Amino acid sequence: MGKEGHEVRMSLQTLKVLEAFLENPADQLSGADVHQRCHLASGTLYPILIRLETAGWFVSRWEAIDPSKAGRPRRRQYRLTPMGLRRASEVFAGFNRGVLA
Amino acid sequence: MTSERTQDWVDGIVHQLIRRAAKHAPDSLADRLEEEWLADMSERRGSLARLRFGIGCCWATNVIAREHVAAAPLAATVSPTPHRYFIRMREADSPFFTGRTITFMLVVSLHLAVLYGLAIGLGPTFIRTIAGPFESREIPPAPRINPPPLPLPNIPTRIDLPTSHDMSPLEPVQRDVMTGTPNEATPSEPAVAGLPQPQPIPVRRVEGGPGVGFPSTRDFYPDASIRREEQGIATVRACVDAKGRLISEPTMIQSAGFRRLDEAAVRLATAGSGRYRASTEDGKPVDSCYSLRIRFQLRN
Repeated sequence: MGKEGHEVRMSLQTLKVLEAFLENPADQLSGADVHQRCHLASGTLYPILIRLETAGWFVSRWEAIDPSKAGRPRRRQYRLTPMGLRRASEVFAGFNRGVLA
Repeated sequence: MTSERTQDWVDGIVHQLIRRAAKHAPDSLADRLEEEWLADMSERRGSLARLRFGIGCCWATNVIAREHVAAAPLAATVSPTPHRYFIRMREADSPFFTGRTITFMLVVSLHLAVLYGLAIGLGPTFIRTIAGPFESREIPPAPRINPPPLPLPNIPTRIDLPTSHDMSPLEPVQRDVMTGTPNEATPSEPAVAGLPQPQPIPVRRVEGGPGVGFPSTRDFYPDASIRREEQGIATVRACVDAKGRLISEPTMIQSAGFRRLDEAAVRLATAGSGRYRASTEDGKPVDSCYSLRIRFQLRN
């Protein structure tokens, strides 16, 4: 699904999402998890997740649980790809944020 | 029980919203988004939060669908500068309820509230509330209350008086001399030559003013004016009844030169209601208006 090299236009909301993932790049976060960290509305959050996944910065997969046993539906979880981690780090380094520089 | 029913009712609506939103998403994402959003919706606590989530999903579908169509021709495009990023606020990334939207809604609501208030007649009250105590208008002098002429029963008129060359010129009645007793002469009694010709008896009027127990300027001297050493004399017009009570709000006639002192003077004149000494006419208290000079002077 990812198309490495797609230009990703940065916005403040996109930066917030990336920052949430960069806190621990190995984490897999669902949309609900990102919402708790960024407090973005669903109308803003999901287009960003889809956009970054389309660009190859994220990969997503279904949570490996049995919904009947867990008592809740499975979630779609996103994770930074190596390329996404590198690009995101470059973006924040450009802001002198020093994240994973 | 009612809250549970409400929650179930809202959940039903949000489920419908999410399903309808997912149907309008690109085919490759429709099923996934529906399941993903339903799962994330269950993480939201509260009916309102879930409702906002559902509405947001409808918005997200529009954005995703639009970008999906726009991205198709660009799928094979590779950015020539993959390591350069530029910051650009995308319309799609704007929050569902942006600050601008909320501000716009607030402004519209405020205008509607003001128009409604004016429509139901709150305008004059509102204007009086914000107008403040002073208005730059000239206060016309109040008409002097002239009491009706005293009845002079049985007083022979001038025509009835016999003319006499010896009649001495009439002496005006002195203001400080109270005759009090009109001539009791009756028409049946002939007028006696030499008697002073009856004239309307002038009314002896004594102007009122601050009476016993009237407030002192010391109690109304603004602290700020004391600190700034503001001094002056304010002239306030006060209208009181026969008992020394104000019958209207005191008005400023001449400023003391400082707004704080003017305000204090009006407050003082208002606080003195009931302690004014009413004007008297022939010793009888009457309603009257007079000017009151209030001096604000600091003492070392």
